[in-house]
Amino acid sequence: MDYLAGGFLKAVYLLISGDPETYTAVFTTLKVSSLSITASMVIGIPLGFLLGYYEFPGKRQVRAIVDTLLALPTVVVGLFVYAFISRRGPCGELALLFTIPGIAAAQTILVTPIIVSLTATAIESLDRRLKTTLLTLGARGKQIIITNLVEARYAVLVAAITGYGRAISEVGISMMIGGNIKWHTRTITTAIALETGKGEFAVGMALGIVLLSIALAVNGMLIFLRRRS
Amino acid sequence: MKTVLRSVVAIVCVLFCIVGFTGHGVAADNVLKMATTTSTDNTGLLDYLAPVFQADIGIELQWVAIGTGKALALGKNCDVDVLLVHAPSAEKVYVEKGYGTDRRELMFNDFVFIGPPSDPAGIKGQTVIDALATIISKKAPFASRGDNSGTHKKEIGLWKTAGIAIPDKDAWYIQTGQGMLNTINIAAERDAYTMTDRGTFIKYESNWKGTPPLVILVEGDSSLRNQYSAMAVNPERCSNVKYDLAKNFIGWMASDKAQKLIGDFRLMGKQLFTPNAK
Amino acid sequence: MTADYPLYHLRDLMYRHGRYFELDIPELTIDHSSSVGFVGPNGCGKSTLLRLLAFIEMPQEGHIYFNGTDMGRNNTNAAKQEVTMLLQEPYLLKRSIFENVAFGLKVRNDRKEIKRRVYDVMELVGISPKIFARRKWYELSGGEAQRIALASRLILKPRVLILDEPTASVDQESASLIKQAITECRNQFGMSLVIASHDRVWLNSVTDMVKRIHEGRIAGTGTENLIPGPWEETREGLYVKKLTDGQVVHATKPARIDSTGILNPSDIVISLTRRDDISAQNILRGFVSQMTIEKDSDNVLIDVEVSGIQLLCRLTKPGVEKLHLIPGKEVWAFFKASSVSWY
Repeated sequence: MDYLAGGFLKAVYLLISGDPETYTAVFTTLKVSSLSITASMVIGIPLGFLLGYYEFPGKRQVRAIVDTLLALPTVVVGLFVYAFISRRGPCGELALLFTIPGIAAAQTILVTPIIVSLTATAIESLDRRLKTTLLTLGARGKQIIITNLVEARYAVLVAAITGYGRAISEVGISMMIGGNIKWHTRTITTAIALETGKGEFAVGMALGIVLLSIALAVNGMLIFLRRRS
Repeated sequence: MKTVLRSVVAIVCVLFCIVGFTGHGVAADNVLKMATTTSTDNTGLLDYLAPVFQADIGIELQWVAIGTGKALALGKNCDVDVLLVHAPSAEKVYVEKGYGTDRRELMFNDFVFIGPPSDPAGIKGQTVIDALATIISKKAPFASRGDNSGTHKKEIGLWKTAGIAIPDKDAWYIQTGQGMLNTINIAAERDAYTMTDRGTFIKYESNWKGTPPLVILVEGDSSLRNQYSAMAVNPERCSNVKYDLAKNFIGWMASDKAQKLIGDFRLMGKQLFTPNAK
Repeated sequence: MTADYPLYHLRDLMYRHGRYFELDIPELTIDHSSSVGFVGPNGCGKSTLLRLLAFIEMPQEGHIYFNGTDMGRNNTNAAKQEVTMLLQEPYLLKRSIFENVAFGLKVRNDRKEIKRRVYDVMELVGISPKIFARRKWYELSGGEAQRIALASRLILKPRVLILDEPTASVDQESASLIKQAITECRNQFGMSLVIASHDRVWLNSVTDMVKRIHEGRIAGTGTENLIPGPWEETREGLYVKKLTDGQVVHATKPARIDSTGILNPSDIVISLTRRDDISAQNILRGFVSQMTIEKDSDNVLIDVEVSGIQLLCRLTKPGVEKLHLIPGKEVWAFFKASSVSWY
């Protein structure tokens, strides 16, 4: 009990005093996940729209593949990306290993299927009368796409938040691609995973509190948005 | 539909360019990437030396602490510029094969066997060979690094010298696959013995403010010497590595100033590493 | 003006759904500034025809010419934007009422005096802009929502307004406001109307021409009676259709057993008493269910309910007065077997 209580107190102290190691890890996580969620949405929302809006041969198969990719284990993604961006790999020239953009790129692979699948569902769930209404009011092409996404905005936002939650809490990719380099690629999750084993329990706890708060906030927003839509 | 696909492809390309550029930006010109052991990192030695190195030479040292075996692999893949490891025979082979170059011995300490103060197997004060024999005969729980690190290679070598086969599949032989501090903590949880370098043990001691759950039981044997050296990744094999910066680093670590800093690095008043660059 | 071409000209038009065809229209012309009604049972193809006229769907075969342009080949947006359609069920976009009404204008980048125009058209459909403009889409009743949906189309001053059962899903007050607004716009800027509705009375009052659609084909003007099969042969060489209360309808030989018979309302004679001493084979008992005045004439259209079927009869005003006909009164309908013609 002392162990926990002591760790908790020290953790609170670290947070309040603005301990640089702790806060650097937090900001690194925020940086990485912001990059990855942005890239995932830029790629994933249009693809999700295409998948949801149009009928085409093989649509069911594509959907099945995307939904399977939802369950990608992070270490597997980390492993494959590592093989690609290591100097010996095909993308070695980009020098992405052990960098923040490198982690973000791999996380994008993880998160994009989530965005695609949930956006497709959001578009499919739109009332069928929307299509007719838009056509009869004279909307064409780009206007139809944008209006559809605006009509589905809550569901699309849910997709984004779900993706963000996944990115923030993953460890496998951050560890393998980031390398947990202090001050540079040490994220909340790698710090908790790797530092705690070395005995830095208070730091682990402090970061755990931060991560838990973020996760609760993320889920809170999801619940709020679900009710609105 | 076609226009949407085309825009997506365009954006993906743009993103890759951005990532590529920022990626390059991070590997800025005065950043030196190092792969090293967990002991140099866990002890805090690198945290202590790196700022001074940066102040003196203007190079920022970034290191991945993963254990000697993985570090050598990273060097082979050209993913880092310089190595700081402690497996002399493996290092010499590495240089012979042309993966590393400019190898230089920098500092040493020794390995110790630690275990619960009650010493259930009764290895205290024995020689290394006898201790290992005792451990295996009593099937005393023993935590091994199990990760191809310098420490692990040393441990394997000692079993071999003792003429004992590695008890790979035995339940009491705990192969953690993790760094030194992590392995010590696991040993403590399981009330097990383990072998560690003295520097990491002193750090462990200081974490526990002088009264750690595991204590030194076997030490001083001549076979327990632990030599650390640095090597640059061979630029002839890896055109991208920052060879000049690596040489700067190795040179600086061998300099009088750095050698003195290494010797002055203490925790709880004890010295962790003895400088011995020639 | 573009008087060289009619507003719509459909030729050899076929619309298929899977293996069977939904619409088969060899020829249909609609003039500028005219108003056309379509009647017919559910599933007859009305909605599909409306969707084709609104260019939401394209026929598998045949041509639709809009103002002379073959819409199948030349899919110009400009032409499409002159036509708008109101759906049967009220549907609004998930935004404020103001934004809903303004949507069509914004899509066309036509933002001049947008606030005034939105407010004006909202008044036109009887929804107070000051109160409702800021409200959200979910804050309206069904009838109010349909009126706003109508407003969002009227504001575009379309050349053609297509309406699919516009008053079917709304309350009476909304229905009457909708009808008012449509008529007002027609008068103001000569908007053409294409309306599908079950409300025959309203349809007759607001359209120049009513066509019936039956099993995908244009079949008459909607005032004939349709008597569907099956028909059985009798010993006398006539064919009969049995009605639910035991009465029968007599006709001459149909093309097929399940053909639909057509009976002109003018061929039916009404009497207050049953008479067997007349030559007509069809002597049917029923009661008056509805009476309306026929447009542009002095005739009275009377719906007589016979065994669950409505038979439309055309009488003169004096004839009605002579019999003192009122809804609910029991009457007898007489017509010859040969009056029933066939498709």
